[in-house]
Amino acid sequence: MTNIDDRAFKQLIAESQDLHVDAMRGINETIPVLEEIREERRGQEIDTDEIDRFNRNRRAMLQKMGYGAGGLAGRGLLAGSFGTILTGLMATPARADKTLDVQILQTASSLEKLAIETYNTAASQNLGGVAKVPGTAGQVIVKFVTETVKQHDEHKKGFQAQTTALGGKPQDTPNPKFAAEVTKAVPGFKQLVDVVDFAAVLEKVATDTYLVNLTQLEDMKSKELMASVMGVEAQHLASLRAVSALLKGGAPELIKIPIGADLAKLPAAAGSVAFPNAFEQVGPVAEPETGAVK
Amino acid sequence: MNKRRQVNTSTDSRTSTDSRTSKELNPPMDTDERPLAGLATTPVSRRRLLVGGTVAAGVALVAAACGDDDKSSTTDTTADGTTATTAAGASGDLTVAEVAAGLEVLAVQTYEAALAAAQGNKLGTVPPAVATYVTTALAHHKEHRDFWNKVLKGAGKPEVTAPNSKLKPTVDAEFAKVKDAAGAAKLALTLEDIAAQTYLKAIPTLKGKDAVRKAAEIQVVDQQHQSILLYALGEYPVPVTFQKTDKAAF
Repeated sequence: MTNIDDRAFKQLIAESQDLHVDAMRGINETIPVLEEIREERRGQEIDTDEIDRFNRNRRAMLQKMGYGAGGLAGRGLLAGSFGTILTGLMATPARADKTLDVQILQTASSLEKLAIETYNTAASQNLGGVAKVPGTAGQVIVKFVTETVKQHDEHKKGFQAQTTALGGKPQDTPNPKFAAEVTKAVPGFKQLVDVVDFAAVLEKVATDTYLVNLTQLEDMKSKELMASVMGVEAQHLASLRAVSALLKGGAPELIKIPIGADLAKLPAAAGSVAFPNAFEQVGPVAEPETGAVK
Repeated sequence: MNKRRQVNTSTDSRTSTDSRTSKELNPPMDTDERPLAGLATTPVSRRRLLVGGTVAAGVALVAAACGDDDKSSTTDTTADGTTATTAAGASGDLTVAEVAAGLEVLAVQTYEAALAAAQGNKLGTVPPAVATYVTTALAHHKEHRDFWNKVLKGAGKPEVTAPNSKLKPTVDAEFAKVKDAAGAAKLALTLEDIAAQTYLKAIPTLKGKDAVRKAAEIQVVDQQHQSILLYALGEYPVPVTFQKTDKAAF
């Protein structure tokens, strides 16, 4: 029979007990939360998207406490009764949490606020010299800006109302991530096309942010609102692309509503410039936390 | 919601977006938005361990189509043994795919008919921008049709080759009245409106994230088609503040 090194053995036991105490400290914090989640979802249909979100929560929580799955497994703790409890609890999906939805809605409000302020700033600077544009184009563009600001304001109010409905605080400040881009861009508004092109950038950010958000939102009403607004921002974007192309193409006189017989004068590219791809290609977006109320 | 839960959830949102923040103005491409990436690199995913055969069918279905270039992910999905029709989400997403494909087939056929009429000098003089629009929109709708059929095929369902039977007679009747480019544009506007509204209505109901994303990507483009048609027809290109769903095909 192999001799046992009592001293080393006791040291190993002491280390093991320390590890156990450490682990239980974290678990004592974790289990009530998981039990609460389990009770809330008992008997409800499994939603795999919710499981994804719950898993992200759980992984982050464990990592934050220093008990990543690898660490626990390495210490042999998942093999015991605690492991069974934890595994069982973690296999139960979480109730749909609303915090991320609220953040998404707050960030959407912040983008709308930013769009409103940017259009208003550009308007206060005469839209880069819109009055110099020949024909009725100037009037059309001024009307477009006025209408678009109104629409963004309605969108903002809609997102704010939905934020409140989900128990969050409505956001009413511009998105800081893209506000910084606006600050950099405004001094460069030398001519109308500069304003138009930058407005298109903001409309694309909004469109693409809402598009990505649709894959993350859980609340049905929020999804409906987001998709509805996304469609409108996409149309703002299309309109701005067309206007930009006509300005750059030296045909500002064709920016008119109704266009009437001048439809025949539109360059061929006007029929495709507003939608360069069959599927929207997502560009820069405002991540949910960027516009969240702190 | 208690304090502990809020903290945890907050951690969730940070975790899911930190990688994007670091990329500043680059588009987010984390695995949450590209489920295939996770599936491709994880032979047995945690989700699968947890829910076994009840994997969100929409993800699997659309993933099959999206993942054509990613053999491992397609195989992975297939190896899961999940059949599209066993999960409620799957059948729901498949139904949307079928409806969408039927609409896209209708759009393709109508644009093709318009193009043929224009080439046959049956619409009078067609402005160059309108001609470009028709060929561009036609190409887009073919891609949309092919995408949904790929989804259906990936799920073992037959591809949709027939146009939406509910709308087809009406569209045919309206097309018979078309005498010029403006008439063709009006009919196209109606079709784009129906398509965009259908996607808008479907998106909140879809279970698969890839299905949601693709439907949204298509909705955006269809709404933009509408704007240019509205402009060509002499109308304001952004006529409503919130898009509606009253003309949706289901």
